[in-house]
Amino acid sequence: KRVNKAAEVDAELEEWKKAKQLLKPKDQVELSDAELKEVIAKVLESINPQTPDSLIEFSHAQGEFVPLPPPGNMVIEEKEPEIAEAAPTEEEGEGEQKDDDDVSYVSRADDKHDEEGEGEGEGEGDGEHKAAASKAPAKGGRPRKLTNSFNFSNVLQWVIYDGYIQDYAAQQLEKELERERREKDKAPVGRIKVVKRKTGRAQLSEAVQGRVFEYYRYWDDPSDEYREDEGTLLPLWKFTYDKVKKNTVTDMEWNPYYYDMFAVCFGFLDFMKPIAQGAVCLFTLKNPSYPDYICMTPSGVMCVDTHPKYPYMVVVGLYDGSILVYNVQATCKEPAYRSNNVTNKHRGIVWEVKWVPDMPDGELNFFSVAADGKINNWVLMQNDLAVTTIITLFLAGDASPGPDGTLLRVKGCASCVKMHPKNPIIYLVGTEEGFIYKCSTEYSSMYLLTYNAHQLPVYRIDFNRYNTDIFVSCSADWRIKIWEDDRLEPLFVFDVGDRVGDVKWAPYSSTVFAAVTAGGRVFVFDLNVNKYKPICIQPVVSKRRNKLTRITFNPKLPILIVGDDKGCVTTLKLSPNLRIPCKAPKKQQYLDQWTLQCMKLDKLLSLVREPVKLTLPEDTAGSEDS
Amino acid sequence: MAEGEVKEKAVEEPKKIIHTYPLVRHSDMHEEMRTESMELAVTACEKHSANNEAAARMIKEEMDKKFGPPFHVVVGEGFGFEISYECSNLLYMFFGGNVAILIWKC
Repeated sequence: KRVNKAAEVDAELEEWKKAKQLLKPKDQVELSDAELKEVIAKVLESINPQTPDSLIEFSHAQGEFVPLPPPGNMVIEEKEPEIAEAAPTEEEGEGEQKDDDDVSYVSRADDKHDEEGEGEGEGEGDGEHKAAASKAPAKGGRPRKLTNSFNFSNVLQWVIYDGYIQDYAAQQLEKELERERREKDKAPVGRIKVVKRKTGRAQLSEAVQGRVFEYYRYWDDPSDEYREDEGTLLPLWKFTYDKVKKNTVTDMEWNPYYYDMFAVCFGFLDFMKPIAQGAVCLFTLKNPSYPDYICMTPSGVMCVDTHPKYPYMVVVGLYDGSILVYNVQATCKEPAYRSNNVTNKHRGIVWEVKWVPDMPDGELNFFSVAADGKINNWVLMQNDLAVTTIITLFLAGDASPGPDGTLLRVKGCASCVKMHPKNPIIYLVGTEEGFIYKCSTEYSSMYLLTYNAHQLPVYRIDFNRYNTDIFVSCSADWRIKIWEDDRLEPLFVFDVGDRVGDVKWAPYSSTVFAAVTAGGRVFVFDLNVNKYKPICIQPVVSKRRNKLTRITFNPKLPILIVGDDKGCVTTLKLSPNLRIPCKAPKKQQYLDQWTLQCMKLDKLLSLVREPVKLTLPEDTAGSEDS
Repeated sequence: MAEGEVKEKAVEEPKKIIHTYPLVRHSDMHEEMRTESMELAVTACEKHSANNEAAARMIKEEMDKKFGPPFHVVVGEGFGFEISYECSNLLYMFFGGNVAILIWKC
């Protein structure tokens, strides 16, 4: 078998050899054997086989074809222009000798120049330094230099100083622009052109005020971390207007549309010292030095209200009982509507005016409360105000006999009114006698409820925004009381030691409220923190001269404005302790601030309220069985 | 009279504010090269604040190491100059209120 295999292998090999026979092309030259054996030498020559030979060109000079010399073997790939050389000097002669030693060459040139420089005897320090362009190609042909002339060829102390001063000034300018840009970005008032604003003065004032703007926006009292239950108020600006310096600030209201704008009424409260004129000024935080809009009035202004939808419609009530409606967008000089001085006016001081939702026809209307005991509803007709008396407040006492024997019902005198925020037909009226009446617009002769609130005139009633059953009232009898709807007894009573001019709930918290007193102090209470004492008592104006009359919270920013009886409005910033937000309990992280605040208030109230009804739980484990 | 003179003198001498931050007056370099060179120059000058030559030597050696050999550096308080330099390799700056530094490659 082995033999067979070997034979097979041989056979395959032969077959393979045959297959590998060289293939002859059909046109192969047939050579004889002798020629096949000839050795052909391979030689390398420098002749370019591709150069064209015997080139001919027609020469016009000679009028015939002349042969051209054969082209050379050099092909130029890249050519760069040469740099002009200086006239050959002795130095260059030396330079060529020491071509590779650039360093010493250059330094020698320096020496030469230094000598020249010193010879001239000018300049300080190192003298002049020249590096001529001629040296460039000597260094191996790197022609990448250019004599660039920049105009700073002198270094002297004053040059340096001037340079720094210029640069510093440029930097300051940059910073100013940055700050302005940042202010513009961070305080967008979203100005739809409803009210025409004057901005030139505002910007100047901004630049002047400088720091205070930063405080108002960004500064939070750091010491509040260390004082657990107390807070402070940082005074920011004082707003005044020259012509009404003697007037008392009788009312202030933030504009419902622009959160940096507020209206201030200048009137007077002291019966013995009447002031013949008054004004309503619209100030803005952007320009603390001068009001944006001024409306002078013939008599002291006691109250103001801005329409929530049309922020340029401002209604004011005057000391002499008349009512004016201004369209500040149109003009500040003339009121758009005026109450008729003979028939349509109130007979007493108008204490409060309030816009109410528009009539079904779209006409604007508002309420007014006056010292003559009447609450009127006025509607803005085409050219005039139409008035209807909603209710006449009568005292609860019996009719007492008048001078000619007829029985007259004594009218109560309203000093403040507040619409219920949720229910538009309910409103509370506080009187000079100290009663608070809960009235409805449907019933014009009866009260729904009478609270025996205070002994002296009630100056302000304010509803809590988070729980509208709760309201606070303050009075000249030194007390602030917190009430709940339907309860005749107050929930909380605070005695602050001086006539309380105004009290308001904070818009950001359900348990914080602030009050101002005639002693020039601002009190801030947080019922969640301390149910008996205020968390902040701060004198804002000097005690002897100024009395504080009004206070209002800004709905968006953590600032308060406080008005006093010298025509001055002070802005205060609330420190963080006074505006603690609610922390959501762990299991209910999704709740928003509003709900949290309501919950907080409810928890607080449940502690204070006595349960209305006490019912015995049913005895389910019946004793009959056992 | 004496008071008037004193007042005049007080008015004549306003406060001199000297800035010492590094101020680049002219530069041809790329951004990164410029910042690096500037920081290097500042470091050198702070280190050898009394000796301009040592500061210049330090700057030159560092620049040569980082960006390639033929660099020239001048550090001084008062000099004039006229140079040719390789493009994109020039830095001229002030530092320390009274020192000027000129770095160029050629």
